[in-house]
Amino acid sequence: MRIPDEERALAEKARAGDHNAFAGLVRLHQRRAYLVARAIVTVHEDAEDAVQEGFVRAYQALDRFDTTQSFGAWLNRIVANAALDIGRRRKVRTTDELSEALQSPFRDPAEYAELKGRLAEALAQLPERARSVIVLHDIEGFTHVEIGVMLGIPGGTARSDLHHARQKLRVLLKDLRG
Amino acid sequence: MTDELRFRGPTGPADSDSLGEPLTGLVRDAYLPLQDSDAYWAGLEQRIMARVKTAGVEDSRWWSVLAPWAQAGLIAAMAIAAVSNVINQRLSESDSQYAYESVIQTPTPDADASEALLSTTDRAASRDAALEYVLSH
Repeated sequence: MRIPDEERALAEKARAGDHNAFAGLVRLHQRRAYLVARAIVTVHEDAEDAVQEGFVRAYQALDRFDTTQSFGAWLNRIVANAALDIGRRRKVRTTDELSEALQSPFRDPAEYAELKGRLAEALAQLPERARSVIVLHDIEGFTHVEIGVMLGIPGGTARSDLHHARQKLRVLLKDLRG
Repeated sequence: MTDELRFRGPTGPADSDSLGEPLTGLVRDAYLPLQDSDAYWAGLEQRIMARVKTAGVEDSRWWSVLAPWAQAGLIAAMAIAAVSNVINQRLSESDSQYAYESVIQTPTPDADASEALLSTTDRAASRDAALEYVLSH
């Protein structure tokens, strides 16, 4: 994988102790990091916590980061771990909590109220890991191997989780399809 | 400013098992950030950097400087404790042996008395022999 020159330069400066360079890395990667965290913890506030914790851990481990590798991939693993830690401390989400968490500013509120309720209900029935895998793969575009590294599971397990999660979602939301 | 402002979507070859666009779109919408504006991301960046700076200050405190030495110190302390334990044990064994030997080698009071009696008898005999010799010459 080719590392963009801008990212490599920022990573090298940040390793040398340049705070502004680290802020540049934050600007480059915070959105993606947020989406990774949100796929795992679902709730916005938890995702923000995981992102902040992930960047702090990355900053503290900068001396161990290999600047020939992708900072984004390394960061995403750290953020995923932070999100998993937060998820372990939380109780299982109820459908209501998920429904509150899954809000979109881009839809008609009335229409979306129905959709988000159905979606939240369906997602709540998936195991947490399966939910994360489906979002990380189908929405974020990570490969099975990348997801496996982030979640600490073999790539084959991520693939099989994805298959089962999709099957279940299809059944639960079949009247919304097409 | 970011190279990852939008979802990438699945990469690689076409996925025959895919959920399909209506469902994927629904899930995608649901997982969009709650506040997707430049102001929100700038605010998050500030909060992240504030925590990073705090973490940097924590790292530079004196106990953080000592932290890397803590493990080496602990190992050294355990080694010293183990060595002193062995030395104590040896000393204790040697004291016991010394005490034992002292008990074994100390003459009994009766033996002293016999020796004293014997030496008194010897001295009397020598004196009598000397007197006899002088008188005979």
